[in-house]
Amino acid sequence: MVLVLALGDLHIPHRASDLPPKFKSMLVPGKIQHIVCTGNLCIKEVHDYLKTVCPDLHIARGEYDEETRYPETKTLTIGQFKLGVCHGHQVIPWGDLDSLAMLQRQLDVDILVTGHTHQFTAYKHEAGVVINPGSATGSYSSITYDVNPSFVLMDIDGLRVVVYVYELIDGEVKVDKIDFKKTTTSNA
Amino acid sequence: MSISPVPMEATMPETASCSEGPRRFGYLRGVQWRIDLGILPSSPSSSIDDLRLVAANSRRRYAALRRQLLIDPQVLKNGSCSPDVVMDNPLSQNPDSMWGRFFRNAELERMVDQDLTRLYPEHGSYFQTPGCQGMLRRILLLWCLRHPVYGYRQGMHELLAPLLYVLHIDLELLSEVRKVYEDHFTDIIDGFSFHENDWTHKFDFKKLPEYMEDCNGSESPVKINSLGELEPKIQTIVLLSDAYGTEGELGVVLSEKFLEHDAHCMFDALMNGTGGAVAMAEFFSPSPFGGSHTMFPPIIESSAALYHLLSIIDSSLHSHLVELGVEPQYFALRWLRVLFGREFALEDLLVIWDEIFAYENTKFNKPGTNDAESNVGVLNSSRGALIAAFAVSMILQLRSSLLATENATSCLQRLLNFPVDVDLLKLLAKAKSLQALAVEAINSTPLLILPRLHGRRNAGFTKAHIPSLDLTSPRTTLNMAHESYWEERWRVLHMEEERKQGSAASAEKQVPNRKKGWSERVRLRLSRTKCDPFRSKATFRKKNETDEGRKNIGGDVDFGHKIPAEVEEQDVKDTNFSTSETRCSSGCPGNEENSSNISDLSTPVRGTNDYVNMSGRSSVASNFSAEENDTDSVNFEPLQANPESSPLPVSELDPDDDTLNSTQNYHSVIKQAAGIKERKLLSDKFQLFWKFGRNINEGTSDRAAVSEDAIACDSGSDCNNVAGSSIVNGCNSTSGISKAEIIDQNLIFSLSDLGQSMLENIQVIESVFQQDPDQMGSLENCKNAIVGEGHITAMAALEELRKISNLLSEM
Repeated sequence: MVLVLALGDLHIPHRASDLPPKFKSMLVPGKIQHIVCTGNLCIKEVHDYLKTVCPDLHIARGEYDEETRYPETKTLTIGQFKLGVCHGHQVIPWGDLDSLAMLQRQLDVDILVTGHTHQFTAYKHEAGVVINPGSATGSYSSITYDVNPSFVLMDIDGLRVVVYVYELIDGEVKVDKIDFKKTTTSNA
Repeated sequence: MSISPVPMEATMPETASCSEGPRRFGYLRGVQWRIDLGILPSSPSSSIDDLRLVAANSRRRYAALRRQLLIDPQVLKNGSCSPDVVMDNPLSQNPDSMWGRFFRNAELERMVDQDLTRLYPEHGSYFQTPGCQGMLRRILLLWCLRHPVYGYRQGMHELLAPLLYVLHIDLELLSEVRKVYEDHFTDIIDGFSFHENDWTHKFDFKKLPEYMEDCNGSESPVKINSLGELEPKIQTIVLLSDAYGTEGELGVVLSEKFLEHDAHCMFDALMNGTGGAVAMAEFFSPSPFGGSHTMFPPIIESSAALYHLLSIIDSSLHSHLVELGVEPQYFALRWLRVLFGREFALEDLLVIWDEIFAYENTKFNKPGTNDAESNVGVLNSSRGALIAAFAVSMILQLRSSLLATENATSCLQRLLNFPVDVDLLKLLAKAKSLQALAVEAINSTPLLILPRLHGRRNAGFTKAHIPSLDLTSPRTTLNMAHESYWEERWRVLHMEEERKQGSAASAEKQVPNRKKGWSERVRLRLSRTKCDPFRSKATFRKKNETDEGRKNIGGDVDFGHKIPAEVEEQDVKDTNFSTSETRCSSGCPGNEENSSNISDLSTPVRGTNDYVNMSGRSSVASNFSAEENDTDSVNFEPLQANPESSPLPVSELDPDDDTLNSTQNYHSVIKQAAGIKERKLLSDKFQLFWKFGRNINEGTSDRAAVSEDAIACDSGSDCNNVAGSSIVNGCNSTSGISKAEIIDQNLIFSLSDLGQSMLENIQVIESVFQQDPDQMGSLENCKNAIVGEGHITAMAALEELRKISNLLSEM
């Protein structure tokens, strides 16, 4: 029952001023055990805010982050799952599943969390899961202006991960749920 | 094991005040206590079978409870249980969601665990085992979930632990007996050796003599030659644990499997008092005991009763302690809350509790006293009297050392570090002898205690900080048990949206006893700093209590009925701010929604509007204050004047209209009057009219008689006059209704919004009342005028408010 929050591409203060209030009201300290952040926060204040939501914070460096000491990629193990975080601008073509799968094999992780495209996607392939939490503030990306704020909450329990996707569409928070089970033979 | 064996045959004579009754199961404490606490039938004639039946039922109840309340996280995963992911995701602020409950339970569990890890470390071999800790945790969790009013308090675990312990001891006795007699039955009978556990079958008493004769090689230490030689005690034990008796395994009274169930039942009975007077839960409750009107928490009352008893028995010691300023609750809190659990070792405690539970717990009926004079509620039984007497005898034990000190701190030190090497039996004997006196004391002079309490309270609370009194902790603990700030906001936001879309009434029920969250507290604080004019409104309430107020309301019979009734009953414990805030803050939402109706102002944050409105309100108040001569009723004016005008708009409405229509009419009228400049002022008053107007609508008679000069007395309300007249003239049916439909949805939305905010405000008041009375100190001037009279009225007025809000929200 470990709750892991995945978000990124906030671009505060350059492209957005803050998280949408509805999202902020949901991110209550005490419920979430880990945060993985794909990057582009961009400033320290956002880092501090995320720390108040959960002290266990893992960030990968995005191209606009002002903190230069974040790593390019990061891996961590939560329960039975190995997670990998990367911003995604390094993986070309941006958002391409095959390339991301390459990265996933490189990092040897079950769940890869990347961003940069500001669009939520979740792919499942035989080696694992690739999740893009989108942009939590809905800021524009290099590709498009039409961005809905979104983030992802993963509930890791044993060999099963339930991915809750929170999107702000037309002022309403929409939640969707995706189930992934890890087969024990994967990721040899 | 320390079991005090009481011969089964001896039946103690029943005295008037204590019923020691036949200590049928004196050697089986667990069973005896269950009988004493009222879980098992206590009449001497009830058979073992009856006991088993009752036990089985209680266990069934607990099992059902457990299934219902303990949330299995696995269940959360199965998507089928909740189709609506929006509601049931982990971050959902919806307090009703499974996840919400899960997190709340996790909070409770954390608190409980904190205490459990420190429970009885000297008996850690039993109490600190994971099995035992798990049982204790579950029992406490379930009890607290069932009784959200009390929540979990430190000390509850110490009440539960000895109960579990005695059950455990019983089981040890049982297994010993089994061992003794089991040996006997490993003999071979007819060439077969019985391995089954069915040793009651072996206790086939008819065959017993034959077996006895058959077995010659037995090395068993116990030789039973005949039925009669089997000790009755053992016989009972056997029957109580017979797996094939009534109700089968579920009915086995001494059962290891159902240890948790039994312990929970005992704990529940102890806390609830099972209909008697001594309900331990009351000692943990911050609110006044139901039947008493003293307004002090029961623990304070009981402590005062202790001192009262002490003063009767040993007045010099009593006066010495009082002089030093040693308030009884400093030490009595700990003594009473865990029933002396902290002062004595576990074995001694069991003996004490034996005695305490032996006394009956039925409330005393005092003929000739009315409700207002009852009593030191919680200790109002012979059991309670014994508790008080025992506490007093403890104090007397330390008499010499207490009299020797001239220092409150060292007195307290001595009281709180009760000597270990004390002769318990002597203490108990003394307590029993004092018990009769205690009964008399408790029965006779409840009122005397109160002014003393009051006096002491004023003095004591303002200067002395009570170290162990955790009356303020209810706020935090109950907050955790109830919704958090965000959850409340979510609720509010969602309800607004739902109504905007015209959807059906929201599924969420408004929880009436939700404690206030941050929002109200923030509002409370801010409003306190802001609303200085309200201080003068302090005597607001006092006026209301008098008949004069009733008279002033004038021709409006029903309304006059409502208002003074309402306000009279208001609890003025934390008089001023809370009550004035009731008015203003309950006014404000109405204000807001009116303005949203009228002017389509958006109200993004209710809080800010509140502040604005409150200042507007105060200006209204000051407008009115000029009129009144009597200083006391200076602030009653707004209440007066408003109600008088309030019937007007409503009176003209056809009483036959359903309330919705009428309020729609009402609001359409408001629209008509919308061109008025002093819109805010208008809505300030309208909120009152509107709120009371609803009452009036429901129970009102023809108001046409109410004259317009009633309006005229509103000094600063020209707009009111205009509105009033326009209402009188142009209102009612058709024109109103056509407009009504336009604002129909707004109305529903805003009405329920109002109800919601009224509820919030009620909670504000309530929790403010229950707060540390230190806050009263700041309002000294007004307080003295009001305190002592309006308590009851205030409380009931709150009830009225609540009813109003419920009605409103039902719309």
